[in-house]
Amino acid sequence: MKLLRCPLNGLRNISEFLYGGEVHPLTDPSHQDSRAWAEQVFFDDNAAGVVLEWWCHRPTSFWFIAERDTLTDQVLRTFASSEIYVERVTFTRAVSGDPHA
Amino acid sequence: MPEPRLPEPYGLWVDRTQTVTFTFEGQSYSGLRGDTIATALAANDQWLLSRSFKYHRPRGLLTLAGQDANTLVQLSSDPNALADRVLITEGLVVQAQNFSGTLKRDRNAILGWLAPFLPVAFYYKAFFRPRGIWQLWARFFRKRAGLGVIDQGFKPKRFTQSHRHCDILVIGGGPAGLAASFEAAEAGADVLLVDENVALGGSLNYADAAGSADGLTRAALIERVEQFENLETLTGAICNGWYADNWIPVVQGEHLFKVRARQVIFATGSLEQPVVFRNNDLPGIMMSSAAMRLVRLYGVQPGRQGVVVCGSWEGYRAALMLARAGVSVSGLIDFRARPDDGHALIDQVQSAGIPIWFEHGVDQAIASVDQNHVAGLDVGPLQAGQVARDRVTRLTCDFVAMAGGYVPTYQLACQAGGRLLYDDALAAFSIAGLPDDCWLAGSVNGVWHEGPTQADGIRAGKDALQALGLMAEGGEPVPETGEGLNYVWPIFAHASGKEFVDFDEDLQINDILNATREGYEHIQLVKRYSTAGMGPSQGRHSALTVARLVADATGKTVAETGVTTARPPFAAEQLAHTAGRGFFLTRHTAMHHRHIELGAQMMQAGAWFRPAFYGPAVEKNARIQAEINQVRRGVGMIDVSTLGGIEVRGTDAGEFLNRVYTGGFKKQPVGKARYALLINEAGVVVDDGVACRLHETHFYVTATTGGVDSVYRNMLKWNAQWRLKVDIANVTSAYCAINIAGPKARAVLARVAENVDLSAEAFPYMGVRTATLAGVPVRLIRVGFVGELGFEIHAPQQYGEALWDLLMAAGEASGIQPFGVEAQRGLRLEKAHIIVGQDTDAMSNPFEIQMDWALSRKKPYFVGHRTLQELEQRPLTRVLAGFMIKDLNRPQPLESHLVLDGNQMIGRVTSCMTSQTLNAIIGLAYVPVALAKPGCRITIKVDGGHHVTAEIVPTPFYDPESHRQDPES
Amino acid sequence: MPFGLLKYGLRKQHPGQHHFTPTKPLKSHYDVVIIGAGGHGCSIAYYLAKHHGITDIALIDKAYLGGGNTARNTAVIRSNYLTESGVNFYRDSVALYQGLSNEFGYNIMMENRGQLTLAHSDAAIRSFRWRAEVNQHLGVRSELVDRQTIQELVPNLNLADDARFPVLAGLWHADGATARHDAVVWGYARGACQRGVELHQLTEAQGIEIEAGRVVGVRTNRGKIACGAVVQAVAGASSVVGKLAGIKLPIHSFPLQAMVTQPYKPVLTPHVSSPHVHVYIHQTSRGEFVIGGGSDPYPLYHTRATLDQREILSAATLELFPFLAQAKLLRQWAGTTDMTPDYSPIMGLSPVENYYLDAGWGTWGFKATPISGQTMAELVATGKVPALIQPFELERFYRFQQVNEAGATAASH
Repeated sequence: MKLLRCPLNGLRNISEFLYGGEVHPLTDPSHQDSRAWAEQVFFDDNAAGVVLEWWCHRPTSFWFIAERDTLTDQVLRTFASSEIYVERVTFTRAVSGDPHA
Repeated sequence: MPEPRLPEPYGLWVDRTQTVTFTFEGQSYSGLRGDTIATALAANDQWLLSRSFKYHRPRGLLTLAGQDANTLVQLSSDPNALADRVLITEGLVVQAQNFSGTLKRDRNAILGWLAPFLPVAFYYKAFFRPRGIWQLWARFFRKRAGLGVIDQGFKPKRFTQSHRHCDILVIGGGPAGLAASFEAAEAGADVLLVDENVALGGSLNYADAAGSADGLTRAALIERVEQFENLETLTGAICNGWYADNWIPVVQGEHLFKVRARQVIFATGSLEQPVVFRNNDLPGIMMSSAAMRLVRLYGVQPGRQGVVVCGSWEGYRAALMLARAGVSVSGLIDFRARPDDGHALIDQVQSAGIPIWFEHGVDQAIASVDQNHVAGLDVGPLQAGQVARDRVTRLTCDFVAMAGGYVPTYQLACQAGGRLLYDDALAAFSIAGLPDDCWLAGSVNGVWHEGPTQADGIRAGKDALQALGLMAEGGEPVPETGEGLNYVWPIFAHASGKEFVDFDEDLQINDILNATREGYEHIQLVKRYSTAGMGPSQGRHSALTVARLVADATGKTVAETGVTTARPPFAAEQLAHTAGRGFFLTRHTAMHHRHIELGAQMMQAGAWFRPAFYGPAVEKNARIQAEINQVRRGVGMIDVSTLGGIEVRGTDAGEFLNRVYTGGFKKQPVGKARYALLINEAGVVVDDGVACRLHETHFYVTATTGGVDSVYRNMLKWNAQWRLKVDIANVTSAYCAINIAGPKARAVLARVAENVDLSAEAFPYMGVRTATLAGVPVRLIRVGFVGELGFEIHAPQQYGEALWDLLMAAGEASGIQPFGVEAQRGLRLEKAHIIVGQDTDAMSNPFEIQMDWALSRKKPYFVGHRTLQELEQRPLTRVLAGFMIKDLNRPQPLESHLVLDGNQMIGRVTSCMTSQTLNAIIGLAYVPVALAKPGCRITIKVDGGHHVTAEIVPTPFYDPESHRQDPES
Repeated sequence: MPFGLLKYGLRKQHPGQHHFTPTKPLKSHYDVVIIGAGGHGCSIAYYLAKHHGITDIALIDKAYLGGGNTARNTAVIRSNYLTESGVNFYRDSVALYQGLSNEFGYNIMMENRGQLTLAHSDAAIRSFRWRAEVNQHLGVRSELVDRQTIQELVPNLNLADDARFPVLAGLWHADGATARHDAVVWGYARGACQRGVELHQLTEAQGIEIEAGRVVGVRTNRGKIACGAVVQAVAGASSVVGKLAGIKLPIHSFPLQAMVTQPYKPVLTPHVSSPHVHVYIHQTSRGEFVIGGGSDPYPLYHTRATLDQREILSAATLELFPFLAQAKLLRQWAGTTDMTPDYSPIMGLSPVENYYLDAGWGTWGFKATPISGQTMAELVATGKVPALIQPFELERFYRFQQVNEAGATAASH
């Protein structure tokens, strides 16, 4: 069983974790055009190499981020998401109210 | 007459004082305790053990180490058992496999005569004309394929599993492994030493010590094991794979150890290889190490008169060891030319009276009269690697010991990431590229002979200790000493073939060469096309030969050619081992026992068990209808503890819900509940529930039974990015819940409610209150899922049974009855309430299910909002609508029956029931927008292909003004 | 009778000829470059040559012929999917499979064993009925069957009431079949090479040359090739290769593991699948039990196997067939599945002109081999997207229009 180091709980078996998708910068959807928004919803990098991804430690429901090589499965680093997501996020409506503006 | 056993000290692993009787193919044999099936039979001169896969050739022991598939026999409920591993027990019944008639005279052996018409991959080349004929041929082949017989009536007992953690796992208890273990244990590391044989010692147990003074003797080494408290050993235990982070399964009997090691030392030794010549598969022809094992471990003579064939000094050592034991060796065939300087071993062998034939090869082995054993060996001088046919001498013999060279036992190391390299000069494989927490020691590392292998073991121990930080420096590398061990080309082609390269698959030299000729040149294509290496022994004894042949045929080096990927398991392992106890999660609510006591038929909802209805299964429909009627006319109660519950608390609680759900919650008054619809970024409905505001900064949100865990996790993930001031807790299993519904619900509740005004004015529809019921603290939510006056009661889960009991008591005077999931589904359908996952599918968006009202467009953001804006731009293709069939004689549609328009599929039914309340068949279906208006007619195809017409009607079907659930409205 | 085998015994010299292209240098130009010589790539090459007379094709693969997912799948052929688009597509594929051995003169050992999917919950029964109705409507043999019928179809299946997951009903797909997966790719490849297609193994595409929005060449480790059109058919590496052409895809690549036991005398005829318990199993013509289940839970471009999955599959297998506890495991392996958001493939045009996509094959690729070859060949030859594969265009995601097959696939995501 592969081991993964939870930043909160330490080294645990991979069965205690849930993969949560690629890490992407948070955007305001109202500021994106149709195609860009579709890509954000459905498309992904799916890179063969080092990626940043979300993981959840299921027993404690702790979400964190891992830097992992998808070719070798080597986990380079895991860290709290607060390293990347630093501030409280607010959403504003697009100025003209037209999502395609 | 079988030969008597050799005297002691031969027979290291058998107890001469204990006889064991068993049967093989119906005949009784006796052996000694400690014998394997194969050795006991050998001691009784019974060498024929099986019939080969394709040609049904007679086969006997080859490695005597559980590494080949020649010895597969059938035990009761254990087909394909290894006869050279399984110990005989009193009364053991052993059968042979894969023959027609008798093992001695297998009628299928005629296939051997057909061999010329069965070229490599012959099954691809024919058997398909005329079209469809393969279906018949397949049945013919299937009967002949397969080896043992599975016992379909077998009732397994669960095998056991346990975990082990250690600092260093040493795999292999031979000289290298033992030395590494001692080194590590001395330094204080926790060491686990594993060996697949019944005792430690590895090759020390059977190989001739050659009188070397280096290192400790076998006995001393094994004794030393006992001196370390921090050294645990497992014998008769096989490491069956290497998995990420040194996670290694070890199979011992019926137990599976799952070992986590910080460092692993592979001291797995080497696999002796066969020599390839015509008829090299006859019983009696075995590895030199097999002959030595037979003699030293079991005291059994490999035969009356044998020949050793080799291309290295290992053959000489084997011959000497056999001769010293009193076994008659009448010749040694050496492929190499006599060295000019001679060699001590040459003198020793000749002194032992064994003639040596230098620079000779094997033309073929000759079978006995009954064809089931070797009776002679034709040898001849080598000219440019070929045997000179015209100068062949026939040697009489009844056993042949082959010393064809070695391949490191590379499988586990390669699973760990090691790569196989081939040195043309040494004609041998080596392993490189292991991860930095894995080490090699001993012959698997190219270090041979007792002294050096122990030194290499010590070196590996030191390296592992250094990696653990228990030692400052690693070990000094020990030079490889494998020179001359592998002969470059121990392959002697014969015009008439049958020189077996892969015993499991009955593949000859030409099969491999023809594969390359037909364009299957890459080693992986050779394997797949010819099936070389695909049998039970997974290429242990064919990989090297195949690599050599393919390299030669394709003009590449063996290193470039390579071998196919090593995959777990290393040794065949019963499914029972990894199945273990088959643990599957089961969840019961706090009121589970009450349901059982009341005779509920339980159903599974995910891992939960819930009551479907109460009463005997044969009365299903009647019982469900009675429960529905009870709720409509009186009062009923249902355990809804499985419903998800999430606490959302903090100054941003309202803002948080605003973003996660489609509706508006920021301005929701305290004491009110609101429907909460959850969609994903693709605009698809994924869950729903009710959000109850208990305080300005506290919401209690329900979710579906199956969806809550995912909803909760997603909430956390969103907030990890939004960083709102909110705390979210999944309290589903902290609370139990009961829904009490029906015209008499309030009256029942009033009898036990404390600290709350239940009146309609004080506690309106969609209100939330906290209270106590006979002392039990509860949250009360006035909901209308089933369409009657109803209260959902949530209490801390430890009150489950008390809550159930007090409500049943309070309701007795009103005739309260429990109702189950099936009745609830019927009740909600009469109100046309959707069930997410049943009335919605993987693509349903809120517009399609007529839930525009649940969308709050004024919010700047909610999950999925942007996509809804996109979807709105396009016309709806379908809509969920209510339909009714007033004629109860028509067949009732079932969920998923299609709605048709002529020959077109235009929709489907998602829910349907025969409603006694409404005296009609009602249901929900997806239909095109044009047909979704009340009054339209739709055609539904039901079972048997019949068509039924239904009418679209407004929803809810029952109590459209919702006076029943909200009499004040 | 297998008269075709006579010549092997009656001649001294092995009469077999080279089935493919002997190793030779790449030309500087080809009409079409197909990246990926797996089942789909070889199938596309074959139909381009046979149906459209286009033979100036370089069929390239970075490893050996069929060495990607074609070598690693569990060789199940079926068409009991859910959507109208999906069912039509797979139905046509199964029909092509029926005559495939005779089409290219190579026995793919296709057997119509039938496929049984088990329902252990009401939700599953609803879902199976949906599939059965759609299947029947479109001419595919599928029906909902009860426990008694299941017992007749698979007498040794565990139907005990006290099983942890009792079987409630099943979806019986009489058209379900198995075949020898390697033979499919070899048969197509040989047929293509016989017609002049050049197979270049150990040839890796390392760059795509684009001019004015149109593909003009492929850079490989063995040299550059100019070309008129490119098809990418590289299941397990679609995103990686797509990136070479600057194409974004909605694909996530997860390992899918499988395992096989030693060979035994036959006891199981149909293919049996239980999505609920996450396992499917059948017994090959060699007598081995092939066992597979759900995809790995996180993306990885490495075909390693795990003990965890072996444990899950073994436990699940014994739930259905307790007596298989005695069966011995021989080998476990993995492939790389390119999962799409709606479990349907991505076929057709890409944002780059003359660069065609055959991607997103998840766990549904092998069964689609013949039909995807045929339709993609038609697209490459005519420039028009055949109606059958229109629903699978990449553009559908930009319209938020999914062709959702969740529940009808083997992977449980």
